[in-house]
Amino acid sequence: MNGYMGQILRINLTTRKISTIKTEDYAEWGGGHGIGSALFWELCPDKAISGFDPRNVVTIMTSPLSGTLAPAVAGRTEVQGIGVQGYPIEWFTRSNFGGRFAALLKYAGWDGIVIEGKADKPVWLDIRNQQITIKEAGSLWGLDTWETQEEIWREVMGNAATRDEWWQLGTERDSGRTTQKPAVLTIGPAGENLCRNASLIHDAGNSAGQGGFGAVWGSKNLKAISVVGTGSVDIADPNGLMNARLWAKENYATHIDNPYDERVGLYSFPNKPGNSLGIYPEHVSSRPQGCFGCHKGGCRRRTDSGGNESQCVDFFFYDAHDMERHGGKTTTTFLQTADLAQRAGINVYELESGIIWLRHLYKLGVLGRGKEINTDLPFEQFGETAFAADLIDKIAHRKEIGADLGEGLARAAKKWGRLEQDLKSGILPLQYWGYAQHYDARVETDWGYGSILGERDINEHDFNWLVYWTPSIGYLTGEKPLVSAKELSEIIAEKCKPYSDPLMIDYSDKGIYSEHMVKLIAWHRHYTRFWKQSIGYCDWAYADFVNPYTPDYRGITGEGEPKFFNAVTGSNISFEEGIEIGRRIWNLDRAIWILQGRHRDLEHFAQYTYEVPAKTGYTTYEIPYVMPTYENGTWDYRVIGGRVIDKQKFEEWKSKFFEFEGWDPATGWPRRDTLEKLNLGHVANALAKQGKLGA
Amino acid sequence: MSDNQKDLSRRQFLKLFAGTAAGVAFGGAIPQLINLGNGVIAIPASEGYLLVDTGKCAGCSSCMLACSLVHEGKENISLSRIQILQNPFKNYPDDISMFQCRQCTYPACVEACPTSALYVDKENRNIRTVDERKCIGCMQCVEACPQTPSRVIWNFEEHHSQKCDLCANTPFWDGQGGPGKKKACESVCPVSAIKFVQEIPTQYGSVGYDVDLRGPIWQKFGFVARRDS
Repeated sequence: MNGYMGQILRINLTTRKISTIKTEDYAEWGGGHGIGSALFWELCPDKAISGFDPRNVVTIMTSPLSGTLAPAVAGRTEVQGIGVQGYPIEWFTRSNFGGRFAALLKYAGWDGIVIEGKADKPVWLDIRNQQITIKEAGSLWGLDTWETQEEIWREVMGNAATRDEWWQLGTERDSGRTTQKPAVLTIGPAGENLCRNASLIHDAGNSAGQGGFGAVWGSKNLKAISVVGTGSVDIADPNGLMNARLWAKENYATHIDNPYDERVGLYSFPNKPGNSLGIYPEHVSSRPQGCFGCHKGGCRRRTDSGGNESQCVDFFFYDAHDMERHGGKTTTTFLQTADLAQRAGINVYELESGIIWLRHLYKLGVLGRGKEINTDLPFEQFGETAFAADLIDKIAHRKEIGADLGEGLARAAKKWGRLEQDLKSGILPLQYWGYAQHYDARVETDWGYGSILGERDINEHDFNWLVYWTPSIGYLTGEKPLVSAKELSEIIAEKCKPYSDPLMIDYSDKGIYSEHMVKLIAWHRHYTRFWKQSIGYCDWAYADFVNPYTPDYRGITGEGEPKFFNAVTGSNISFEEGIEIGRRIWNLDRAIWILQGRHRDLEHFAQYTYEVPAKTGYTTYEIPYVMPTYENGTWDYRVIGGRVIDKQKFEEWKSKFFEFEGWDPATGWPRRDTLEKLNLGHVANALAKQGKLGA
Repeated sequence: MSDNQKDLSRRQFLKLFAGTAAGVAFGGAIPQLINLGNGVIAIPASEGYLLVDTGKCAGCSSCMLACSLVHEGKENISLSRIQILQNPFKNYPDDISMFQCRQCTYPACVEACPTSALYVDKENRNIRTVDERKCIGCMQCVEACPQTPSRVIWNFEEHHSQKCDLCANTPFWDGQGGPGKKKACESVCPVSAIKFVQEIPTQYGSVGYDVDLRGPIWQKFGFVARRDS
């Protein structure tokens, strides 16, 4: 089994039993998410339990490409289980993170970890190759995520923790040696205090934020997992893998000596190093920083430790407030607040929407000192580090207003009696399943529809850079995108096999309810479930549809994903075969959600989506939505802001989608023949037993 | 011991050993020496060196992955002949260190080897490399390397020493390696933080090996072009 280590570590924290699972039995799912879902299906018999229930099963999975030279995939780890962030139901969900963890777990000899049960007191897991120890974490409990990691390094490495030298794992000469620090995944105070918006943090800025897995770990009394390994990942075709990497670098990655800065737009596979969307103050020295095997190096480390390894929303949750406070320019405030969130272990998406909402309530006179919602949050320092620091501290330690906010925004709003009205007005921008609006379902339907048909904010930028950001930036600057709307529709059609429908990216008022949009959403769900979440291709690099370096502007997607996978594993699967596995995984996830209570009647957006026209900058960091539409026989990038979703039309669209997937349009439940064609007959049986099989 | 204390100057290298003392010091490695006359014996300098820019490195470790892949046919960063170390909680530029073999003009590893397994390869422009068949696993070369961490790697899976050969022998890659040709780490580095040169770097300290590989374009990315701290 080239690419796989052959075994998955299984830990029962209640009994402290350590055992193994053969990876071979699950390899049909590819890796990562697919294997995680299959394991959860088997090991968590009652899927309707709370995420806080000790019977909840958490999987932490790598892929066959983890720890290999395949570009922008080697460092990603997929986390799954019943999350505690989703509202009104704590859906079975996922998150993932980058860094070094997946690679070092593979080198230690493991394809993944399964966590079951609940420890009777705080523990951490020490993995050194095949040596597994459950250790007491009393002295770590209360430390922030950075302090915890450094403490564990000292425990594992001894004196080598402070020196650049080889250190030995074990006492035998050939028991393995390394120069690397253990990769640690940990919770901070927010996780310990069961905040539903608590993250898992690795190194300085790698975070599995969505889903509230930090709180799930906290409920299991699991503080951290440390892993270091010295083993090898077998590669089926080393020469093929090396040459594929060089092929990708030459043809698709940023040419360091010939960057594309004269071209408008945001791209996936090529990315100027250190460019986390270009918002760093340039007077501070820094370097680009990338995850294991990354060819992009999209993050940074700076001289002043401001936001090291953080990127995007890690900064954006506070940068606009920093600017507003400081005369229209960002200061180091938004970098410092990113670090504070990482150290406390809090999901920054909740902070982003939460801060906007709290400020609305403050301005309404509802919240503040002596107000209906009483808090001493220092609004007079809004935009300064002090405000964010106080809010983060309150949430992470469940102090004062944080006692409620630690339950997540939706549940806090419910308790304060504001949920319905604030979702209706939109001042509480939780558009799907209690998750913060990331991109607006009213306009960017691939994001919105995908999220509501799934279980969380999808956070998948496959189309987003091209259909939204690139034309919208061009609209503001007056510069044309690299490819026209018509050319983009043709490229997307070529890449999105097997559907190959140019009208898939018609975001017009008509297009978003069409059968073409059905294909786009289906392709997206299937593609990401396999190639990105199971094999681990990073969202910042894939899908790569449009690439400024190729003569015809076609990106690496379609050819690259299977090329690297096959070189590592020795398989010979096609891009489309991978997507079909993704469809199988998507159906398995759907079945789990159905056993948790999913019905089509639950799949609707927050009320403001249907009633309040999309307003730029009202909810997140969006700029005016300019997107490709096909109207009156012509393609163009057109302004589509200011619209709402027509609820009736959306319901009709859902029926079309369910039919397309082979699901019962009356319920959204898969039919038996659909599942059996996917070799999921046992899943069909389980649904039938509950009376939840589609008709 | 600091790098400065460990390193030898070029002059020392050229006139290091005289008379019969060299034979004792180098054991079976005598055939690799050059008699310069007047009792001066020297080791021919390597005709290739890897330079790095630790201030430019993005820490992706792709060089380690490529090195292991082309030499061992598998991914194992512990077997990589270049090592990238990171501390994510330190600030730039102290967060990353790059450790490549220096192809020392005075190769203590060659001197230490009792079986000439670690030798100067005249067929490949005098790189210092390991004949794994001759290695008896005494690890004296690993210990003798004056650099920390040692640039001679102990292959604990196959039980022999190994070190950077500038890709002269990459059984798992059809790229034409060796001095003057492709190097896996240099080829794969996404930010061009590794560079092959033929000139002998200053042997004193690290300044000859850890150099400024940035340029004006680096500024376009929002970084400083000059070496700074």
